[in-house]
Parts: sequence; structure tokens; C-alpha cells
Amino acid sequence: MVSASATKVEGEYSFLNKNSPLDQFEGVKTHLYYFGAEHGNDNLKSFACSERSDPNLLDTILLSQWDNFAWKGHLDYDVTACQLKVIEGGRNFVCQLNNKWNSFFLKEYDKFFESFGYLKPNSMKRYVLLCIAQGENDRPEVAPSSSPPKDGLLVIANAHPVEYGHVFLVPSAMINQVSCYGDKRMFQLATKIASEVNNAAFRVFFDSGISVVSDHMLFQACYFANPLPVESTSTFTVYDGKARAGIIVSETVDYPLKALVFTSNNLQALVSVVSEISSSLHDNTTAYSLLISNNGTKVFLFPQVKNLATGCSLSAWECGGYFVYHTKFDFDSASETEISSRMSSVSLHASAFEDLKHLCCAIADDLVT
Amino acid sequence: MARSGAAEADPPGEREHRRLAASLTARYSDWVLEALDELPGSFLLTDPALPGHPIVYASRGLAALTGYARRDVLGRNARLFQGAATARAAVAGVREAVRAHRPHQVPILNYRRDGSPHWVLLHLAPVFHAGDGRVLHFLAVQVPIAAAKRRTHPSCAAASGAVLAACREEARVEEDFPCAAHTGKVFVDMDKRGLEAEEPRVASDSEKEMAISMAESIVSALNRYSKLTGLVVSRKRCDSVGIPALSSSLNLSLGRIKQSFVLTYSCLPDMPIIYASDAFISLTGYSREDILGCNTRVLNGPDTSLEVLEEINQHICSEQACTVDLQSYRKDGSSFRDLLHVSPIRDASGKVSFHIWVHLDMGAKHDFSGLTPEVWQLGAVAAVRVAVRGLSASGSLLRPSQ
Repeated sequence: MVSASATKVEGEYSFLNKNSPLDQFEGVKTHLYYFGAEHGNDNLKSFACSERSDPNLLDTILLSQWDNFAWKGHLDYDVTACQLKVIEGGRNFVCQLNNKWNSFFLKEYDKFFESFGYLKPNSMKRYVLLCIAQGENDRPEVAPSSSPPKDGLLVIANAHPVEYGHVFLVPSAMINQVSCYGDKRMFQLATKIASEVNNAAFRVFFDSGISVVSDHMLFQACYFANPLPVESTSTFTVYDGKARAGIIVSETVDYPLKALVFTSNNLQALVSVVSEISSSLHDNTTAYSLLISNNGTKVFLFPQVKNLATGCSLSAWECGGYFVYHTKFDFDSASETEISSRMSSVSLHASAFEDLKHLCCAIADDLVT
Repeated sequence: MARSGAAEADPPGEREHRRLAASLTARYSDWVLEALDELPGSFLLTDPALPGHPIVYASRGLAALTGYARRDVLGRNARLFQGAATARAAVAGVREAVRAHRPHQVPILNYRRDGSPHWVLLHLAPVFHAGDGRVLHFLAVQVPIAAAKRRTHPSCAAASGAVLAACREEARVEEDFPCAAHTGKVFVDMDKRGLEAEEPRVASDSEKEMAISMAESIVSALNRYSKLTGLVVSRKRCDSVGIPALSSSLNLSLGRIKQSFVLTYSCLPDMPIIYASDAFISLTGYSREDILGCNTRVLNGPDTSLEVLEEINQHICSEQACTVDLQSYRKDGSSFRDLLHVSPIRDASGKVSFHIWVHLDMGAKHDFSGLTPEVWQLGAVAAVRVAVRGLSASGSLLRPSQ
């Protein structure tokens, strides 16, 4: 069954045009992970959460593929050799000293993914660690594969990791230059990955402002051993839809960057609400970042004003309270005050945030009925 | 008559006696000897800080059990009770426990002064300095193990007693003074003679409990008479001594990793095991009390390839990861084909502080969901890499040892 479905993918979807350079993709041995099928209900946790004595399958593949990749020397540096510290003060911001990392990489990655779009497989194929797609069988399964699935996500190693296990989650449709921005299914897959990995350290990120090629939908994910500061910050419930679809919208209290938090054990409801809000923000040309945490049951939304002074907004992990410094001096002198002011400089103004909050409550109310 | 060997050994002089007595009286009041003398049973205290790790105290009950008077044993190493037919594995276990500073209980075939063998349950317990965690003494309690059935040839052991005594004397001398091995040339095939009658014995639960309760009352006597001002002598679990304990948050994260592995701590000499996963415990049969603080070589045995061990060593030295296939041994002595992955692990400061050793029993059935065992092992390695990047409020992963 596994091999049958893998073959089917190969045969049916001919985006692997024999004349295109993507043929070479077939030479790449990679794993294809299929989620177990859903049975009408949203009880997505049935497999991922079951208390088994075996290690979690998706978590294990992701971790081992990344570790193997790192040990083979394909990354620019060993992120585990980078020192971490917690900054003094009540918020426990975490910072990392990493002289090989800088935010320009984000722009380089734009080029990287542009080249992606122009079908330059040689530059990216070796970075593909895994493909993930929705399966049809009851249980999740893994098959060796040489071709990416049509409606899946490619897990691509980030050669400049910000933390252990840093990957891009790229819709495979992007290879075909098919715009999939705002594709709810991709957001659903990304959230489902967070859920299925079922490891508290695993977080998925999305930055609307990262890509100048704005039609591309690009998620990132990595493993943080500690909770991010925003995750431990106190929140205030602004919409309680627990009784209806189990979704709660809250806002952070006293966090320098205004944020909304969507919590639900119902993945479908969570995905519907957040993707609807995302597309409203996109239409509104509001920059925002998402942080999917707590095994896919919690989504933090950080709306941002474009900062004209620096020209770029904070990345999702920075919104969460995790910062990388590339000089020892900056690392040593990093302070809570400095970080807080960086955050509040991109934070939405009170009135705009109020509007967004009302919009979120309205969308949540609409969608869960 | 059988003790010709003992006569050759330097009889402890007055000075020697004082030196041994000082081992106790320096740490306890002079009354400690009287207090210990009142305790029933056969037990010894040894001082690992003195050369040769000699016996510094022997109980009144020892003479009744072994035939050795106190003056016969003071100043000597406790291995004088061992003999030709004493199981090497049992002795190795005792040695390992001494080395790792942990309690140990084992049935062992000892020899009386007259050379006759007898089974005792040896209960060994380190006695720690509560202040700095140093080992002050080892306590060795000997509880005779009753025979399950009557011995069939009671005369055999006695008849060969003299010869055996000579044999084991030679063995002992060789261990104590390797260069003096030539003094005895009587190492003949006498070893096994008369010993068929002595099948290995298993201590009953009541004997085990008796050994433990004796040890407890001895330690509490030592406690009463401790004169280390404010620093009572106490028995502690080995994981709180010598090796630092992991922070509870790290323990929790590591506990979620299902594969069979141990972590060794690179910042201490001999890289002691600092964490063992549940799967490792069930794979090898060692308990955490057994294994924490030990070097991973406890899993080695006769068929463990030295070349492979050397290969691992080289990879560790060059901070490289390696996967090897070797023969490892469980606590019960049974062996298994071990697919072993060893990799250095950096902590949140970026330094290599740990090594992970992921063991996989190749003989057992595994469900890897279509993946290779290596993927399974690397998954554990990676999960540990993530876990040790955790920061605690104090900035350290380790709780300071006392």
C-alpha cells in the first residue's frame, strides 16, 4: 500500500516533466511521510498522542535526518556550539551568540527560493530532508521516495540554522511556481506537523514579511529546548468559543509586542480561524508573524508595523523572545530594555490592535458556528 | 599449619596498629570501637585512603565465622578471604562497586582461616563524609548463606584445605605484590578439587534483609560517634556523590526519549554515566543505582572487541560520532549484539559536556516503521542535543553535588 501510493504520486502528477531539470529529483533518496487519514472527526491526536513505548515516528525522522545532515557537514556551522544565555530580568529573553548568522540570510533565502521557482533543483535537492503529505491509510506511514508529492510540504534544511533542527517547510507546489499563498491546506499541513511531531520543543513559524516573492508561502520550524518567553507570558481571554468549537482567543498582557493567542484542541477550527485572519491581514498589507506551539494547539499572532528605520520586521522567533547576536559585544550587552524597545517599535498601535482584535473575534465567531 | 603464608607476611607492629586505629579514631570518638564491638555479626571496615586499602576494623563476630582473629586481618586487604574457587565475576563485581563507590550485594565463596570454603552474602556499602562526599570507609558485612540442602561430601573441602590455602595465598600475594608472585609455585590443577560440592548459592530474602539491617545499625553507630564537627557520616546513594545530578527539567526532557541510551559526563575523569534511559535499564538489567557513576565499560565482556573499543575511544578523542557493532553484556552476564552509536553532545554553553551512547540489541525484534536502525538511533541523539540546550534559571544543567 505504501509503495503503491508512492508510485501513484509519481505516475499521476507529471510535474516531473521528463525534460525539466527536476528529473534529477528522482535521484534523491528521501523519505515521504504520510499522515494517517482523518475519519471525519477532528480527533487528530489519536495516533500522535497515544502513549506508546516507541519513539514518535515523525519526530524521530525529522530529528535524525537533520542530525545526519548536520554531521555530514552540509550546514554552514554547528548551531549546538553556539552559546546561549537567559537575559536578566523578568521576561527571560533568550539570546544566542552566533557570529556566523545574520539577518541577511533571510534575504539570501529569498533568492534561494526564487531559484527554487525557476527550477534549479541542483541547488536545493540535497537540502530536502523529507516530504510530508496527507495519506489515506489509518496509520501514518513512511515510504522511500524519489519524487515529492503534489499537495505536500517539503522539509528543507536551513544551512544557517537559528536553532537545532531549523528547517523550511515549503509547499511542493512552489516548485511548479503555482501560487499557493493563503492556501489553507498548507497552513493545515504545517499545523498538523506541529501536532504530529508531538514534541514540546518543536515550533513552527510563519513570517508574512519575510519574502519579497510574496506569493510564496514559506514556513520554518525548529526545536527550542526552553519555552519561548511569549509562551510563558500571561494572557487575557478576549473571545471564549470553548463551548462551541473549542477555540479561545486571548491577548498577551504586558508583553512589549502586542500579540493575539489562539488556543484550541480542534485543529480544523484553529486552522480555519487563523488562516482566515492571515488572509485578511495579507489583503490589508499588514506584516505579521505566526508561532505555532504547544504541539499544534496554540498559535501566536504578532501583527507588526513595518519599521521604516530598519526596513525589516522581527522574525517570528524574535517576536517570541529569542534573539541571535553575531558579536560577543552585542551578546554580552544585550538587555531586556533593548529587546523590549525593539519589540515595541514594531508593535501595532493601540487602535489598530483593537480593530484587529475585533476582527479576530468576529472571524472566530463566524467560523465556529 | 595452613597459614605459612600469613607468617611470611609482615606482622603488623605497634606502629602499624596505631596507624590503622587512627583511621577510625580520627573521624570518630574513641568510644566507636566499643560501640562497634557490641554489634553482633561479622563485618569489616576498610579504608580506601590507606595504601593497599587495608582492613581497619574487624567485628567480634568475624572470628566465629571465619576463624580469623582480629589481629590476623587488621592491615590486610579484604581479599584475603577469597580463594581459588571464588568466582572471578563476583570479585570483579565487588571491585567495580568499590571503584564506583556504590553499595553492592553478592553471594561469594569465601575461605576460612583453616582453608575451608563457605558461602557468604557479602554486603558492601561505602561510608561517605557528609560534608564533601568523600568516601571514608567501606563497610563489608558477611552473612553466612545457609545451604539449600546438605552437603554431600563434607570431607572434601577440609581435606584439600591446606593445599587450597596455599594456592589462594599465592594468588593473593600476586595481587598485592605482583613482583612477589614467584614465592609460590604451587598453582596446580588443584583449584577445582573438592569444590563440585560447592554449588553456587543464592541468598534468601531474609539473609539479604539481615545484611542490610546490619549495615544500617553499623552506620548509625558510626553516626552516633562521629566527631567530624557538624559533619556526620552517612550513607548516601551513589548518584549524589561524585557525579553531579541533572536538573529536574533536563531529566524530564530526557525521560521522554524512548530509545535505549546513556549519557556520560565528559568533565569528570573516566567519563561516568550520568543518565540512563528506561529502555537502557530494561535492555541491560542494570538499575540506575548500579550504573550511575560507572564507566560504560561495565557492559564489556570477554567477547567485546578491543579494536572496536579503541575505535570508539579515538572518535571520542577527536569529537567525532561513530556507529559500531560489538558484543555487550547485561548485568546477568548474557551478551547481545549491540549496535552502538556514540556521539559528543554540546551543552547550552556550546562545549562538549556529554557523550551519548545509544544501544540497540540487534538480536531483538524492533519495529522501525520501515526506517533503518541508524535513523532510530540518530533520533535519540538529536533529541538529546535539543534537550541539553535547555537553560535553567541558574544557567546550569546540573545540580551541584553536595
